[in-house]
Amino acid sequence: MTITYKKVNNPLTGNNNAVNKIEDGVTETVYIPFDNANTDYQVYLKWVDEGGIPEPADEETE
Amino acid sequence: MVQELLLLFLLDNDGWYYNMATIINADTSNGLKLTSDTSGEIELQSAGVTKAKVTANGLQDANGNSLRGGSFRNLIINGDMKIDQRNAGSAVTSSGYTVDRFRVQNSTDGAFSVVQDTDVPSGQGFINSLKYTVTTADTSLTTTQNTAIVQEIEGVNTTHLELGTANAKTFTISFWVKSSLTGTFGGALRNQGNTRGYVYTYNVNSANTWEKKTITIAGDTSGTWNTSTSIGIAVVFALGCGPDLSDTANTWYGANKISATGAVELIGTLNATWQITGVQLEVGEGASDFENLPYDVQLARCLRYFNYMSGNNIHAFHYGASNSIADVWFTVPMRANPTATYTSGSAGSSFNVQDNKKGYVFQGNQGDAYITTLKLSAEL
Repeated sequence: MTITYKKVNNPLTGNNNAVNKIEDGVTETVYIPFDNANTDYQVYLKWVDEGGIPEPADEETE
Repeated sequence: MVQELLLLFLLDNDGWYYNMATIINADTSNGLKLTSDTSGEIELQSAGVTKAKVTANGLQDANGNSLRGGSFRNLIINGDMKIDQRNAGSAVTSSGYTVDRFRVQNSTDGAFSVVQDTDVPSGQGFINSLKYTVTTADTSLTTTQNTAIVQEIEGVNTTHLELGTANAKTFTISFWVKSSLTGTFGGALRNQGNTRGYVYTYNVNSANTWEKKTITIAGDTSGTWNTSTSIGIAVVFALGCGPDLSDTANTWYGANKISATGAVELIGTLNATWQITGVQLEVGEGASDFENLPYDVQLARCLRYFNYMSGNNIHAFHYGASNSIADVWFTVPMRANPTATYTSGSAGSSFNVQDNKKGYVFQGNQGDAYITTLKLSAEL
């Protein structure tokens, strides 16, 4: 099972405040907010510490 | 100061004096006292039938259950396994949450199925249990391998245990269990980070028979125990583990332990089953009856950690010149800003979490913006 992440920007402010988790076979969007108390965010931080690089956020199209 | 001491002798029906071996004692500081004989018990009877007892473990009913009162004394949420938001009775076959607040973990080479079940101990008022069935056995567990059912309790709900201090409270875990295997099973209590662990055991005496187990544990006076919104204490029911994770029972360790040496390893037997319900953790010696909370209250407690918000569409409406947006207030404030799992109903529709109370559906145009499902998780 491969897990990667993609940055998500706040659509109202443009600030990067979350990531989407991308996992084989999972079609739903998994949105992980940047909150130290969120255990999924803790897993993401560990993934980054181990060398993981998230995909950049989508460009604002407006 | 003792003001009066009276040793009672009464006549029985045959006219013999007999010693009640009970002292009625009055003093200026305690008022009236009844003191038992060396049996250590005082029984309260009505029409010759015992209704309550004073014992070394406090007030008990005739069956030995603690008469400890107080609402919300059970630190376990969903201990009667009624609420199953994620799976609605469907089986779980990989590590993750089963019924609400209970998760299964597995790092063995075996496989399992965990499901909310309707088989319950008779006459106890339960309607659900949690059933673990081994579907592929692993008979040779190695270092770090384990499988278990776990509930992690939030630190803000365990402050009164005063763990890690000289004032640590004694507490009691009770539950009903049924297994196809007999023998000594193991489990543990652990802190966040697994740097402190207490190993306990219980015996399953008869196969495929519901049995109630009660385990009283002196609180840990050492180590670091969280009292925040992270893990306060984790309750582990081990069903198999490698040798590094087991040790002698009834002791606190400064290490990661989840079971007792020589305990039954359920995962080693194909088709073996283990079921549990009525899980309660409360302060004090001895177990009181399972605390039945109203369903809505129990559900609200579960929603703090997981909320299946909707299986229906959530639409956004035009906002400003070029956006569509809809606020979504969470049913209860969640433990942390939750992970949101959703499906976009229209291109570009997204869900965004603002904080632990609110999120919003957003689309960067004025089209029909909506998402079709929304699951929020702020588990420990």
